[in-house]
Amino acid sequence: MSAIGQPISRTDGSLKVTGRARYTGDIRVSGAVHAALVQSTIASGRIASIDTSAAEEAGVLGVFSYRNLPRMNPTPKPWSHLHPHGQGYLPLQDDKIHYAGQPIAMVVASKLDQAVQAATLIKVHYEVAQPVVFDADTTRAAIDPPQFLWPVASSVGDADKGIAAAAVKIAETYATPDRHHNQMEPHATTAMWDADGSLTLYDTTQHLYGARELIAMVLGIPVDKITIMCEFLGGGFGGKAYVWPHTLLAILAAKAVRRPVRLQLTRAQMYSMVGHQAATIQTIALGADNGGKLTGIRHESISPAPVFDNYIEYAALSSRSLWAASGGIATNHKIVHVNRNTPTAMRSPHEALGHFALESAMDELAYATGIDPIELRLVNDTATDPHSGRPFSTRAMRKCLIEGAARFGWESRSPTPRSMREGRHLISEGTAAEIYTHWRWPAKARVTINGDGSALVETGSHDLGTGTYTVMRQVAADTLGVAPEKVTVRLGDTRLPPSHASIGSATMANAGASVLLAAESARDKAIRLALTGRDAPFTRGQGADIRVAEGTLTLAHSNVSISYGDLLARNGLPNLVAEADYDPVPEHEGPKAIFSFSAVFAEVRVDPELGIVRLNRFVGAYDAGRIINPKTARSQAIGGIIWGVGQVLLEQSETDPTLGRFLNRNYSGYLVPTNADIPELDILFVGDFDEEASPLGAKGLGELTAVSVAPAIANAVFHATGKRIRRLPISLEKLM
Amino acid sequence: MHPFALSRADDPATAVAIQTRDPGLAFIAGGTDLIGLMKDRAALPERLLDINHLPGMSYIEARADGGLRIGALARMSDVAASLAVRERFPLIAEALLFAASGQLRNMASIGGNIMQRTRCAYFRDEDDLPCNKRRPGSGCSARHGLNRNHAIFGWSDACVATNPSDLAVALAALDAQVIVRGRTGERSIPITEFHRLPGDTPERDNALDRGDLIVAVDVAARREARASHYLKVRDRQSFEFALVSAAAGIAIDGRSIASARLALGGVAHKPWRLRAAETALRGVSLDDRDALRSAIAASFAEARALAHNAFKIELAQRVVVRALQVAGERT
Ligand SMILES: Cc1cc2nc3c(=O)[nH]c(=O)nc-3n(C[C@H](O)[C@H](O)[C@H](O)COP(=O)(O)OP(=O)(O)OC[C@H]3O[C@@H](n4cnc5c(N)ncnc54)[C@H](O)[C@@H]3O)c2cc1C
Ligand code: SF4
Repeated sequence: MSAIGQPISRTDGSLKVTGRARYTGDIRVSGAVHAALVQSTIASGRIASIDTSAAEEAGVLGVFSYRNLPRMNPTPKPWSHLHPHGQGYLPLQDDKIHYAGQPIAMVVASKLDQAVQAATLIKVHYEVAQPVVFDADTTRAAIDPPQFLWPVASSVGDADKGIAAAAVKIAETYATPDRHHNQMEPHATTAMWDADGSLTLYDTTQHLYGARELIAMVLGIPVDKITIMCEFLGGGFGGKAYVWPHTLLAILAAKAVRRPVRLQLTRAQMYSMVGHQAATIQTIALGADNGGKLTGIRHESISPAPVFDNYIEYAALSSRSLWAASGGIATNHKIVHVNRNTPTAMRSPHEALGHFALESAMDELAYATGIDPIELRLVNDTATDPHSGRPFSTRAMRKCLIEGAARFGWESRSPTPRSMREGRHLISEGTAAEIYTHWRWPAKARVTINGDGSALVETGSHDLGTGTYTVMRQVAADTLGVAPEKVTVRLGDTRLPPSHASIGSATMANAGASVLLAAESARDKAIRLALTGRDAPFTRGQGADIRVAEGTLTLAHSNVSISYGDLLARNGLPNLVAEADYDPVPEHEGPKAIFSFSAVFAEVRVDPELGIVRLNRFVGAYDAGRIINPKTARSQAIGGIIWGVGQVLLEQSETDPTLGRFLNRNYSGYLVPTNADIPELDILFVGDFDEEASPLGAKGLGELTAVSVAPAIANAVFHATGKRIRRLPISLEKLM
Repeated sequence: MHPFALSRADDPATAVAIQTRDPGLAFIAGGTDLIGLMKDRAALPERLLDINHLPGMSYIEARADGGLRIGALARMSDVAASLAVRERFPLIAEALLFAASGQLRNMASIGGNIMQRTRCAYFRDEDDLPCNKRRPGSGCSARHGLNRNHAIFGWSDACVATNPSDLAVALAALDAQVIVRGRTGERSIPITEFHRLPGDTPERDNALDRGDLIVAVDVAARREARASHYLKVRDRQSFEFALVSAAAGIAIDGRSIASARLALGGVAHKPWRLRAAETALRGVSLDDRDALRSAIAASFAEARALAHNAFKIELAQRVVVRALQVAGERT
């Protein structure tokens, strides 16, 4: 039986629930000492004086500030995934203060509590300047940033003309707040130097090789002297994909004190030492004819960036490719430089922000035209990517909408707002569609078939908690024709064949492809041995005639067969090793436009008197190509939906306008959903094998599932109350 | 974390004596609030005295007269599960069950609950922000800052914080007494006078003096206690403090209210009794929503909104109506 397509439980599940999985911060390194950080309490200005004497006298191993920390090389420009810095402004290099929570000193001591306590003894005097925050005033000074991922602006056709001539027009402003990843596992680095100048790191990273490149460049260390390990990650969500200042600090501290140094961020430090999702203010204009067919889309977004970096939340990106618009589509992004740390990708970066605006506006259009929201989307479905003009490789949007609606029972919905009741509550239903970028990235892998019939998969990919160990095992097992239990998977170490960042939901399609190719190559080596090796068992036939199953090679139309073990033994080989180098052309250079799609459906219950919104049920229909493991895929979907519920109803990192700092820096103040907030979630996969996306046929899934939860629920809230909430989160005062 | 010494008290008299002498010492019960405050550096005691082993302070006594006495060391989960509490004072059980989480309630004590400090995010920030409650004279960051969760009653320019205890709101509605043992022996403080308004000294949350040990909470039988309800409105369904909560208990004459007891949470530096509304509600029919609203409004003339919490004034009144209606269904 094929392992691919089976709902296999994750192989590391029991390790995790029994506490035996080794997470970075928990790994005990003998002789390791601890670093604690001092952070700026002001958001703008400079350090007038810093007195570290009391800390130095507290029996610590080292105290560092801009006065004595070695200088680093500037981060490489332009920014690239190949050498990914989280933040261009490097720690403890000068006396400037650009944001609240900026690291300004570091104490290293034998014990953690000693380091933390000594850090409190450092006295800092500041020259305080008034911080600039992201608000209605400062957004007026928004500027055009340079490109860093996609083009900043786009224009196909003449969107404005298309909108001006439209029978029905929607023009609204939507806003999303700052948010933080709040991964359960805090960021941590343990850095160890060897006498020969080689550096070993345990680091919470979604991007081993990018981190290695960046560290090498910034700290001037040869790349081949650096080893980074990360066996398990307790949640990444984009927030651990880039190198943040604490990692650099731990490395330099370890060098200075000549001991391994462990630096783990506190929950509060995770609000300024690493990235976050920046707020957006988005304006969107739609034009349509009376039949709901779009004649133009204009979507623009403004987001804050720090004074030293040009990070862009590409909120208008999705409007380039989700729906066809006969007149044209125009998008643009601007940024405002303010006093804060650098934002970064956060599930689902760009898309989940833009879809809130675009798919809410589509719902507004549905009401304005009197067309059912599903019908409206079907009318605007397209087989060609409006942005690039290329045909989509696969686009099961229709299936998502129709099968999802059937499962949800959409046809019994009464479209009039406030028309469905249950006791004190208003019941309502909303929907939204989603499109998510697909990445094609190079990846390498090695597969070994052992003499005992077992196999080893090695690739420098990552398991963020997503199930990478499990799905790679399935891919190798099927390709080699062995039982999944026979396959061991090793990930998370730069000494393995290099893979890409585990971001953008790209791991299954790309790292998975490299495992597929390496396993095929190992299997083919075995087949060649069986045909031409010592005492070859198969005296006729060719590769295509040989089937492998349950660890045994069998010649078609014969009863001649041999196990991998016997084959290796017969040839005097301990094992067979094969490597693969999956090197696809980047998606944007390919002949087809590749995206994942979905349609989601929410039923909510609103207590109109008290303004309380709770989710009753949720159906998601996803086209993520071929599903390798429906169980881990479903877990991704559940996680994504819950993530979206947080976005739409709860999450926001508020900035104090005077102090210019994030407040509520913990799980008590930053609310994420609890189990009590989440009902049964119903997940459907409707996609087919997509050969353009990956030799495995898989497209990205994880991030897709968090993209349009917010507009689906916001649209349901409108259906319940007649109130259109255009500023997230939908807190109760907005509905009272 | 800030270093501290830990010792254990074995009898109440010694505990009181030790703390009276030592301003750097704090009692610790479940530790669920105090440890968090220490991590945030909002409390920096040099010595902790573990009071969990004090004898005879963990009981729940259902008295023959229909009242209730709860030892200060009784755990929230035990009190919430007690049959006597659930039958006689449903609003107390509800206030406890809607608070914190299962794990926290297993640790947290009744005394610690009514002693817990405000959740004002400025007060609790690791960085010692301007906050008069934390550092007298440093200013109140919330007064003109982010104050959605802050007070609408009884605040001063020095502090606009709210008291986060759910239990205290239910106890206030019932006119419970806090039994305190101090330097001069035992005394009884009405719960409605236990917590203070901030005035010019927001650093003081309550009426306790140094050395004072809460030994019990005393709840007398009330005819409004059976038909009672604790309604807590919060941003998420579970594990979150109240934006606004109401404790309501009523005695009924047919469909009209013979007498009512009402207190609000999440609106002031202390549980906020609505005495004017209680008076105005007498004789009002539970079915007459408008009359209920105007009776309740009697207590809201003195409400004053901050920049981000004006909605609480309306929300609180709706919450009271709903709490009364639910209580009414229990008669
Ligand atoms: C995440 C979180 C969520 C929470 N949610 C809620 C909620 O929704 N509603 C709610 O009501 N509460 C909530 N709480 C607060 C919780 O109920 C309190 O922390 C708990 O009741 C405190 O009891 P304790 O025994 O742990 O007190 P401790 O932390 O041990 O002590 C707290 C304070 O009381 C003092 N103290 C303790 N016992 C006595 C005594 N007998 N005499 C004099 N002083 C004493 C201590 O010196 C200390 O100053 C929450 C807490 C957390 C951490
Ligand atoms: S409201 Fe009170 S606790 Fe909050 S900052 Fe102001 S003084 Fe401090």
